Amino acid sequence: MSQNAEKVLDHFNLFREPEYINLFESKRKEFEFMPPDQQVEEVREWAKTEEYKEKNFAREALVVNPAKACQPLGAVFAAVGFEGTIPFVHGSQGCVAYYRSHFSRHFKEPTSCVSSSMTEDAAVFGGLNNMIDGLANTYNMYKPKMIAVSTTCMAEVIGDDLNAFIKTSKEKGSIPADFDVPFAHTPAFVGSHITGYDNVMKGILQHFWDGKSGTVEPLVRQPNESINFLGGFDGYTVGNLREIKRIFNLFGIDYTIIGDNSDVWDTPTDGEFRMYDGGTTLEQAANALHAKATISMQEFCTEKTLPFIAEHGQEVVALNHPIGVKGTDRFLMEISRLTGKPIPVELEKERGRLVDAIADSTAHIHGQKFAIYGDPDLCYGLAEFLLELGAEPTHVLATNGGKAWETKMQALFDSSPFGKNCKVYPGRDLWHMRSLLFTEPVDFLIGNTYGKYLERDTGTPLIRIGFPIFDRHHKHRYPVWGYQGGLNVLVWILDRMFEAIDANTNIPAKTDYSFDIIR
Amino acid sequence: MSSLRQIAFYGKGGIGKSTTSQNTLAALAEMGQKILIVGCDPKADSTRLILHAKAQDTILSLAADAGSVEDLELEDVMKVGFRDIRCVESGGPEPGVGCAGRGVITSINFLEEEGAYDGIDYVSYDVLGDVVCGGFAMPIRENKAQEIYIVMSGEMMAMYAANNISKGILKYANSGGVRLGGLICNERKTDKELELAESLAKKLGTQLIYFVPRDNIVQHAELRRMTVIEYAPDSVQAGHYRNLAQKIHANSGNGIIPTPITMDELEDLLMEHGVMAQVDESQVGKTAAELAA
Amino acid sequence: MSLTVEQVKQRNKDLIKEVLEVYPDKTAKRRAKHLGTFEEGKPDCGVKSNIKSIPGVMTIRGCAYAGSKGVVWGPIKDMIHISHGPVGCGQYSWASRRNYYIGTTGIDTFVTMQFTSDFQEKDIVFGGDKKLEKIIDEIEELFPLNHGITVQSECPIGLIGDDIEAVSKKKSKEYSGKTIVPVRCEGFRGVSQSLGHHIANDAVRDWVFDKAGDKHPEFQSTPYDVAIIGDYNIGGDAWSSRILLEEMGLRVIAQWSGDGTLAELENTPKAKLNVLHCYRSMNYISRHLEEKYGVPWVEYNFFGPTKIAESLRKIASFFDDKIKEGAERVIAKYQPLMDAVIAKYRPRLEGKKVMLFVGGLRPRHVIGAYEDLGMEIVGTGYEFGHNDDYQRTTHYVKDGTLIYDDVTGYEFEKFVEAIQPDLVGSGIKEKYVFQKMGVPFRQMHSWDYSGPYHGYDGFAIFARDMDMAINNPVWGMTKAPWKSAA
Repeated sequence: MSQNAEKVLDHFNLFREPEYINLFESKRKEFEFMPPDQQVEEVREWAKTEEYKEKNFAREALVVNPAKACQPLGAVFAAVGFEGTIPFVHGSQGCVAYYRSHFSRHFKEPTSCVSSSMTEDAAVFGGLNNMIDGLANTYNMYKPKMIAVSTTCMAEVIGDDLNAFIKTSKEKGSIPADFDVPFAHTPAFVGSHITGYDNVMKGILQHFWDGKSGTVEPLVRQPNESINFLGGFDGYTVGNLREIKRIFNLFGIDYTIIGDNSDVWDTPTDGEFRMYDGGTTLEQAANALHAKATISMQEFCTEKTLPFIAEHGQEVVALNHPIGVKGTDRFLMEISRLTGKPIPVELEKERGRLVDAIADSTAHIHGQKFAIYGDPDLCYGLAEFLLELGAEPTHVLATNGGKAWETKMQALFDSSPFGKNCKVYPGRDLWHMRSLLFTEPVDFLIGNTYGKYLERDTGTPLIRIGFPIFDRHHKHRYPVWGYQGGLNVLVWILDRMFEAIDANTNIPAKTDYSFDIIR
Repeated sequence: MSSLRQIAFYGKGGIGKSTTSQNTLAALAEMGQKILIVGCDPKADSTRLILHAKAQDTILSLAADAGSVEDLELEDVMKVGFRDIRCVESGGPEPGVGCAGRGVITSINFLEEEGAYDGIDYVSYDVLGDVVCGGFAMPIRENKAQEIYIVMSGEMMAMYAANNISKGILKYANSGGVRLGGLICNERKTDKELELAESLAKKLGTQLIYFVPRDNIVQHAELRRMTVIEYAPDSVQAGHYRNLAQKIHANSGNGIIPTPITMDELEDLLMEHGVMAQVDESQVGKTAAELAA
Repeated sequence: MSLTVEQVKQRNKDLIKEVLEVYPDKTAKRRAKHLGTFEEGKPDCGVKSNIKSIPGVMTIRGCAYAGSKGVVWGPIKDMIHISHGPVGCGQYSWASRRNYYIGTTGIDTFVTMQFTSDFQEKDIVFGGDKKLEKIIDEIEELFPLNHGITVQSECPIGLIGDDIEAVSKKKSKEYSGKTIVPVRCEGFRGVSQSLGHHIANDAVRDWVFDKAGDKHPEFQSTPYDVAIIGDYNIGGDAWSSRILLEEMGLRVIAQWSGDGTLAELENTPKAKLNVLHCYRSMNYISRHLEEKYGVPWVEYNFFGPTKIAESLRKIASFFDDKIKEGAERVIAKYQPLMDAVIAKYRPRLEGKKVMLFVGGLRPRHVIGAYEDLGMEIVGTGYEFGHNDDYQRTTHYVKDGTLIYDDVTGYEFEKFVEAIQPDLVGSGIKEKYVFQKMGVPFRQMHSWDYSGPYHGYDGFAIFARDMDMAINNPVWGMTKAPWKSAA
């Protein structure tokens, strides 16, 4: 018996004790009927080969370890960014349990969201009654200012009509006739979570701007000097949006963050649970119509929303998750161009500090090869930053990236000498990435938490940047946008590099001559 | 936008819905209207008389080949036929697999996003016999078809289907703007057909907008994959379709919210007109042998 | 300070009444049946259960897919479980349940991987059967050491009428009788995870037992063979349970399903006794094994020394004196450890009040462990329990315990606010709600990334964790000092 009350052993150490090692061995030997060790070893080696990679890349139907989620997740992400808004997902209830868990595991925060709990009878007869009852319950229990409705794949397959259902619910008195219930169809079998973000964002703006489904007169645009900002689906939304607000405030301009979920996913522990906190007010969402322009930080998250805004007479600017110097330069210069205001001196200083930091550290990063995976815009922003650090983003993979993204990434590679040997992989998954890391190894991998399996199997050190990050805490509180954000990303990269260098030089009398205290 | 008429033809399968709709639309095109036909029946036969084709490549089959609908361009799926009528077919799976209703939703969303309706006077949806699920109701949702024309005949099942379709319209009429434009009776030469069709129209609160007499020339034209309007423009039958087209053209804004009837009421109606014999309750559930005894 | 039982009952009654006031009438009427107070001597807890959740109330429940893929099938380590349908379900449940296992992931074991058919619109419209066939071919090519495949249906599969049974049969034949299991666990079926457990159990019956026939892996039976049923090895629970059974002289021939293999499932009919931990999720297959193969089953509880000792003796009662002596030997062996753990932690936890809301067996099973530490359960409820769960709960709870079935977010928050327990044990979705309120919390599904909690080794960890949750200095800082005077 190894357990003891003084120093309690939990799973980290308990199962390494001899009694458990014996247990594992006898279980395996007598009962499991697993393949012999040698065969496992052979297959393990074979899976590292070029031959395996070819078979792996020939896959047409099976998807293994994808780096994407489904539309409704993005729908919830967008909806909670509005003041007092509860997302209402029409369809099976298990989905909502999943979205809430997923966000809570990333942000370490509560995520409130309801379901219309459709079951077999609704599959046959449609979910109208679930909508009628559900809206009434949500409205009475959670006292929202707005209920944002989206759908799961179940409701989409049976073809439920949200517009008609919401109107009928209002006629039946579930909710007041003038209560705001924007909606968007978000089928899980189309696109990914970034598509869901886009659909809901468009749905909400459409609701306020185009006459609330025919119940009021559409708003008439009265242009002002304000700037709208769309962050897109972003795991760093808490840190990023606060940084963006600071930047806008330094410019001294009017702005509206559309879908500001930075407070609701960062509420204090002070004895009170805040189901709603912060967020874009409904008035701001409506008034955003009058803005001079809208900046989207993530082009591929706003493929429908931006054209919709443009149709209403605004100038729109689409960026690709700018990280680092040039990306941030472009972002600030766009703000300056749109508003006519000069770039604040303070930001210029911050720029200089980031360049300074890069200059201090560039020797360690220069020429290092990276593999990156994540959402399309994030991949672009990271790749651009690596190129300006003199590193090579050798493999860039987005499961939810399409042809337009592929073209854009290739153009980025072509624009830099460091992009010469880099390749873009749209629509591929992390099992493809595994093959790549064996056949064309790189020095570092950038990705979300799931990348730790790749790190374990291929030995490529992982730098955790992306969504979700479940196994490290509080990263979402730090921005990756702005020059300050660029500094954070630089430090995360450097920290992992130095750890790798130290881990590679710490064997006494063998490798520790390079175990330097100054790097 | 405001000038765009969005209409849909519904009706039981085999009733001659596609023939009637294509002839009517061909007549409308003759009148100078710019037409888009959206076939919403998986068997994809809503445009062949206009295109002189066996079957048009459908949105869904092309999308399946290309990967997804996002990979398609409008010109891939849209064909132009008789008198510049634009034609698309939604398509769908083989019978017994997949979800044809979802296919209708996919296709209509695609057409709207790609701007297929720009510069058009009439969009006409040609929809499968019955509103079997939410997908087939897509054309009657808000901002889609405003007027529904139900093609029927004096046969019991056709009338039953017409009543069912009215139920579907009623469901969406309150929340959206869809209205029943009227019934079109395609003559089957059943007893008292005209009378019956008019009675049903009245019960549903609508009008029998036209009674299309049966004429073999329709089959002659079909064999050549043509509308009668094109095949025999001077025929009497072509004249009937032109009349129907005129009536529909003049019917803008006259649609109503239908008042579908119960199955019992429908049976009563049929009995009233002698189409169905009075049921002898004492014989219900008896086998032939029992009755003979 | 402390209330009498009668006062508690009155308070609960008032509290329930107050909570119900927020609902529309129809909903209040329905929810009222799920809230109550346990009355000593009653055969159940006085609440209705296993009924559809009400739309829009924020239920904590999941779905049938979660019950099958996430709970029952997912942990079988040498099989590949395809999340068949759109990408999300498999993504959100990817490796999040901590079903520990030993194996080379991606080569001979596959638990922490996400295999999905990633349905696109065209698969919905044209059906997914052809795609499924191709997926099985690709699995066979790229993962040659897999021992079987399950097809875990997501919502659309049942709606579009795919025939996954036909595909499974066809492919099984093609791959010389390989075990390929279609599971009809579409998320819209039933009212919670629970139906998914049942469907998954039935799939084992139909597609593993019935299909395998006598084709078991080579296996020499002994009179002391048992199978652990309903332990998912969360944080290693099944291991810290197995070790006790082995120490008392039994031979554990199978683990269902944590760290389990297909061969273990196939050999289970040869067990002399099935020992069942999670009754809710695996009573079905236990009953089947009894009816068809004559294997008796017994429920046990390995949370806390009192219940462990009771359970070891109960299990031993099915065997001869050798095993009975073994049980006593095991109990005696761990007694000093238990004494030390209790001596260390009980003084820090004595009298602390706990509210629980979990799934499966835990709303009742863990009560003994808390009581071993001198703690008191003041409220409990099941996410997806049935009436037989609430009947079994009567043996655990005290008179006046607040009972809430399929609790809504609103109700749970209000109950905790009013009762002010020292600890809440529930899931990830609830964790941060209560921590914000300043109430210590432990996730009782995932053991809050700790564990194991089963067995004697697990109890030491359980005690440590409850102490670290409750007696953490952070809870003394939630109020700013300039505000605490108010």
